[in-house]
Amino acid sequence: MDLAFSSEDNDFRDEVRTWMNENAPRDRRPRELVAMREFDLAWQRRQYDAGWAGIGWPEQFGGRELPLTQQLIWYEEYARTSLPPIDARFVGLAHAGPTLMVRATAEHQAFHLPKILRGEVVWCQGFSEPEAGSDLASLKTRAVVDGDHLVVTGQKIWTSFGPVADYQELLVRTDFDVPKHKGITWVICDMKSPGIEARPIKTIEGGQEFAEVFYDEVRIPMSNVVGGVNNGWSVAMSTLSFERGTAFTVSQVQLSTSVERLIEMAKSRTSINGRPVIDDEALAKKLARARADVAALRSLTYLNISRNARTDQPGPEGSMLKLQDADLTKRVYKLALEVLGTRSLANPEEEDDSYWVDRHLLSYSSSIGGGTSEIQRNIIAERVLGLPR
Amino acid sequence: MDLTTSPEQDEIISSSAAFLRDRLPITRIRALFDEPSNVDDAAWSGAAELGWFVLGLPEALGGVGFGLADEVHLFREIGRGLATGPFLSSVLGARVAAFAGDAALAEAIGGGQRVGIVIPGSSTLIGADGSLTGPLQLLDCEPDGLALAVAPDQAVLVRVADLTGVAAVPCIDPGVRLRRAEAAGAVPVARVTADVDPIQRRGHVLAAAMLVGINEAVRDLSAEHAKNRFQFDKPIGVNQAIKHPCADMAVRAQLGYAQSIFAAVATDEGRDDADYHAISAHLTAAEYADISAAATVQIMGGMGFTFEHDAHLYCKRAFVLGQLFGGASSQLGRLLDLPSAR
Ligand SMILES: Cc1cc2nc3c(=O)[nH]c(=O)nc-3n(C[C@H](O)[C@H](O)[C@H](O)COP(=O)(O)OP(=O)(O)OC[C@H]3O[C@@H](n4cnc5c(N)ncnc54)[C@H](O)[C@@H]3O)c2cc1C
Repeated sequence: MDLAFSSEDNDFRDEVRTWMNENAPRDRRPRELVAMREFDLAWQRRQYDAGWAGIGWPEQFGGRELPLTQQLIWYEEYARTSLPPIDARFVGLAHAGPTLMVRATAEHQAFHLPKILRGEVVWCQGFSEPEAGSDLASLKTRAVVDGDHLVVTGQKIWTSFGPVADYQELLVRTDFDVPKHKGITWVICDMKSPGIEARPIKTIEGGQEFAEVFYDEVRIPMSNVVGGVNNGWSVAMSTLSFERGTAFTVSQVQLSTSVERLIEMAKSRTSINGRPVIDDEALAKKLARARADVAALRSLTYLNISRNARTDQPGPEGSMLKLQDADLTKRVYKLALEVLGTRSLANPEEEDDSYWVDRHLLSYSSSIGGGTSEIQRNIIAERVLGLPR
Repeated sequence: MDLTTSPEQDEIISSSAAFLRDRLPITRIRALFDEPSNVDDAAWSGAAELGWFVLGLPEALGGVGFGLADEVHLFREIGRGLATGPFLSSVLGARVAAFAGDAALAEAIGGGQRVGIVIPGSSTLIGADGSLTGPLQLLDCEPDGLALAVAPDQAVLVRVADLTGVAAVPCIDPGVRLRRAEAAGAVPVARVTADVDPIQRRGHVLAAAMLVGINEAVRDLSAEHAKNRFQFDKPIGVNQAIKHPCADMAVRAQLGYAQSIFAAVATDEGRDDADYHAISAHLTAAEYADISAAATVQIMGGMGFTFEHDAHLYCKRAFVLGQLFGGASSQLGRLLDLPSAR
């Protein structure tokens, strides 16, 4: 066992840090959706031009294929430099892209993957429906084969970046008469196709990236089906382990940076009784506990990455990281409001403290998006401990 | 960077687990409950023969020369097995003797002489010269034996015979022995400052390791019960009110393990944030084990409330281990005062 990085890895860290410091976007990331899209894609292009796009992608598809420890280093430095969140780039880089790598034809790969790496397109994920959330396989958006086209009619919801996306990984039902997992098809949907309407849904912190997407007889070429008709469930699950333990590294480094900043704030700010905020013993103890819990979460990341570096088949441990990351994210940003005290009442758009209010509001999503914490607990209990369903 | 176990560590895990299962099963706690001593002499000598008490001591000081990360795996098994006897304080005591230059005493402890530990009270003081003063409690100390007293900056060994008013008192944990005593400037037989060897830091990590073993043990106990206990014609584990606490136990066990090995390796590598990680390890492992053990009592139902079932033994040991080296309250204060981790 050792924690020391090799000298090669340390050189790599220096190189990455230097590049990030010199290339971090200077402008603030816009809140308006179209401007945000352009900002995110410009940032992706900048990474591409410098050879930093797709650090975990195989070389075969234009990625850097860095070893896991160097991916860890990349994400640690990325978070420390406060670089833009992966948000609009997430589905392309970490979900649809990797799915295409393992399941799509060479033509689709050659067409789509370079665009994702170069920051030319935004992908979104059309999985959830009004009646199909945690029980995703019960989805009902209908697709009928008509010659060499699929004709899609139905509705998706919670489609992040739907209003500004170019492509969508879309799950549709192609067979209603078989068990629910067996009648689903995974298809590439061009978001500019006639019959698609994406209506924005305003989020808890005032964000604009959510949408509900309506499909009215949208014609999608059969050649856009990936993995074969009615094989969509296995296609959708094929990238679950792509990240191999690195998925929450950025979030964790942010958590630890946040806890340190909150401790500084608690020392330098005065509470309503005229004494330093940190003099509130109950609050001080919560801050100290947050330090310890964040340290443990980071250690678990290191442990998982160490284990995954030795296997191609990561286990269900990823669910543990996701669950703890969500719990701790909510706890730490709630704590931020305690440190702010009455200042947290200010309208998030007006005050400098808005950062913390925003983080707090955003933290509610951490235990919902990407599979709720309740579902993670089911997975851990059933797949790690072998409890009955 | 690699936190997977080495073949040597895997060997420590399997051999210590087998030894404890055969020689010091949990049933020994109840068997020895009415005896003045909780130590099984034969098993203790056996552990000494296996080198357990000097496993992490440098070879130059008469030890086996393994690291703290290796000792963590031994102590995780000791915790899991709720083994009785002052393992933790004897291992630390051997270090104090060795680093203080008392090779004969270190060798004696390595060979099976036991060292208990002082639980300081609010007015207990270890002076600049290492002398011990004030009312205190003794955990697993024998009247003619040695007691280890630890502070963040130093650790000392004192003779229990040099204390006054030593009297046995019942302890919340039937697996340990508690005594009350008074010290009036008791002079140490050995003393080590933290800059020579950070005894308290190692103590935090090894206490954490034992708590991790407890967390893993109650996780497994709960999961088995959740699968095998039927009510309403179904295993109780189909209910999320049972299933989800079990999942949380699994997460806490992993987190606690990860942080204790991280802290151990940070100590072995002499990182400047080793104290930060060691305290974090102890704090998290203690809190996690405490919550998991309490949930286990609930999952066991009425059986969990009995003396006969093991669930309460895990709760109680977790509580005792959480009180070591200052307990949560003082550890939180220390952690907050440290500079941030790397
Ligand atoms: C920020 C964010 C971004 C998202 N982005 C996308 C996206 O881009 N594309 C997309 O397709 N989807 C997206 N989602 C949707 C997300 O995947 C779903 O919200 C999630 O899977 C839960 O589904 P639901 O909202 O229908 O809730 P439901 O499944 O209806 O759940 C409601 C509540 O019931 C609980 N529950 C449900 N089933 C069980 C069970 N078996 N046991 C115990 N409790 C249960 C849930 O945990 C939850 O608390 C996003 C969500 C968020 C918050």
